[in-house]
Amino acid sequence: MPAPNAFWNRKTTPLFPFALFGGLSFACCQYLIYCYAPTEAVMGLMQKIFYLHLPLAWWALFSFFVVFLGSVLCLFKRAPRADSLCAAAAEVGVLLSGLALLTGMVWARKSWGVWWTWDPRLTTTLIMWFVYAGYLVLRGLDLPEGRKTRMCAVVGVVAFLDVPLVFISARIWRSIHPAVFTSKEGGLEPEMKLTVMACLLCFGFLWAAVVWLRKRQIDSLAALDRLARTGATAFDATKE
Amino acid sequence: MLTLERVAQRYGDNLVFKNVSCTLEAGSVTLLVGDNGAGKSTLLRIMAGLTRPVAGTARFAEPTLKIGYLGHATFVYPALTAFENLLFWRDSHGLEQTEEDIFNVLERTALAGRARDRAGTFSRGMAQRLNLARVILQQPDIFLLDEPTTGLDAKSRAMLHKEILLAREQGACVVLVSHDLAQAEPLADRVFCLEKRTLVEKACSRRKQTPERPCCA
Amino acid sequence: MLRMTLAILRKDVKLTLSRGNGLIQALLLGLLLVFVFSLSQGIGESLSARNAAAVFWLSSAFCQVLVFNQLYALEEVNQSRLGLLLCQRPIQAVWLGKAATGFLMLLLAQCVFLPATIVFLGQNLSGPLRPAFAVLLLTDAGMCALGSLLGALAQGQTTRESLLSIVLFPLLTPLLLAGTGVGAQAFGTADPDGPGAWLGMTCAFDAIFIAAGLLLFPFLYAGDD
Repeated sequence: MPAPNAFWNRKTTPLFPFALFGGLSFACCQYLIYCYAPTEAVMGLMQKIFYLHLPLAWWALFSFFVVFLGSVLCLFKRAPRADSLCAAAAEVGVLLSGLALLTGMVWARKSWGVWWTWDPRLTTTLIMWFVYAGYLVLRGLDLPEGRKTRMCAVVGVVAFLDVPLVFISARIWRSIHPAVFTSKEGGLEPEMKLTVMACLLCFGFLWAAVVWLRKRQIDSLAALDRLARTGATAFDATKE
Repeated sequence: MLTLERVAQRYGDNLVFKNVSCTLEAGSVTLLVGDNGAGKSTLLRIMAGLTRPVAGTARFAEPTLKIGYLGHATFVYPALTAFENLLFWRDSHGLEQTEEDIFNVLERTALAGRARDRAGTFSRGMAQRLNLARVILQQPDIFLLDEPTTGLDAKSRAMLHKEILLAREQGACVVLVSHDLAQAEPLADRVFCLEKRTLVEKACSRRKQTPERPCCA
Repeated sequence: MLRMTLAILRKDVKLTLSRGNGLIQALLLGLLLVFVFSLSQGIGESLSARNAAAVFWLSSAFCQVLVFNQLYALEEVNQSRLGLLLCQRPIQAVWLGKAATGFLMLLLAQCVFLPATIVFLGQNLSGPLRPAFAVLLLTDAGMCALGSLLGALAQGQTTRESLLSIVLFPLLTPLLLAGTGVGAQAFGTADPDGPGAWLGMTCAFDAIFIAAGLLLFPFLYAGDD
């Protein structure tokens, strides 16, 4: 029987290479960020925050997409294992979008002289952070298992349907001209573009490792709870 | 009329029952007995389609069969009058009865005099009679009763028993969960017992009782 | 399904309006919000049209949370919810019936909130009113479609008001933005873009969440727990 904490445990095998590769490659990305990519003329060193901000925001959105997919599976395929995946992805999504908001604020301070700007993407990230924070509150409620799964799955679906609407409405609200959009991304030097791509990809591995680990923790917690409730009978059964 | 196939139910990690299979015919009264916590009410709710079993199926002969359910909860809206409660029930269930029919049913359950009173002013027994009126109005094909005599006086109990027998005569499939064996057993054609986490048929019914197969009570 | 929807609508309207504090509590909360915001005005000042429209929609949103909590709480007494589940007809009728009742109640409440906004916050209706009215109806419809779905979710919870608010409000942001944008135009703020974009957005919101309500409601309104 493998040690419960072993990284090499059969069940955790995808976790280890993902974490290792993600960690190492993201460390290599630091070289690309600080040595390979040129320093931007106006923003200076502060522009480097962009290489962290973009992966955070993109993978946060991807986490929410995973919550959506998992919720659909929960509802229509009655797949119980999708529920813990939703929980893990939502937690990671809230964390990453929170960090994306913070880095975005630092960027805004340097770039526009204010801590907060109602840029549609930043606004969308903020609102999604609120939505999924509410989702996590719902997850924390003490409810019968089946009912909670269904409730969370419904909110998981509804919340993701809301994302494009929030984005569109934030654009109409600010009467956004596309110029602000391209000022960040458009006109990137090829070296910068390559660095951003590399950061995005490497961060993906880290993301997968964290979600996987958290899902495993949630599953183990549920298994322990079950064991605590039925411990006596299970113990008797093994003796027989 | 109603077939259960290898039905199982659990609450959390506790198995309530498993491998419950039976077929219930039209025009029969089935009594369901068992200890407290054996899962009688749960099984009845599965029959009514209010609870989904973790395994197995509950199938009806036709999907359009009307199910009447009389349980601990009365489903009565206290702020509506007795008449309005039945009116809402008629409309929400798509029944075709007229307002006169509703008054007739209230008459049958001895509530005609209180038809225009709010159900919130009723005693527990009267609310349960209104609950019965609701089921009678529906003329169900499958009539499920969960400890229906709780809170009823002797007169109301007799009224209930009369309605059960009437429903059987009209071809309904009646399932009765009761602790009061002395009262309920004479009504029953078949008796099932939930014991050792499964359903067992007992040969103690009025029609099938023989000296070799004594009653489960 | 339509008959059941109408039956639920009739019953809910009756129960909400006949009981003493049915709609009153929601109305008072909304009015209080308008009043509290009116305190932010100095002597001789009045809130900007955009702020006033935002306050109006904030009041409507809070009112709506209370309305839907109350509508679903009606089925908690004597477990009437199970009675509705026995109907053997599309359970979406419950969602639709509650949404329709909520829509009526919200419109009724807004008949009070709008004059209150005009009087307390010093506004006048000098902008284009027809598109504003259309957006108002569409926004209310979207709010009720989502409110009815999530109201079923919060049913039976001890902290249902706060739970519904924290889940519902961020989801409603697109509608609140639309309502505020077009409301500001109705209160006289000139906007070169006009209400067209908002009209399209509210229509899209309504279509998506009415479909979601029809599809997802049976998962929330089920018997087994």
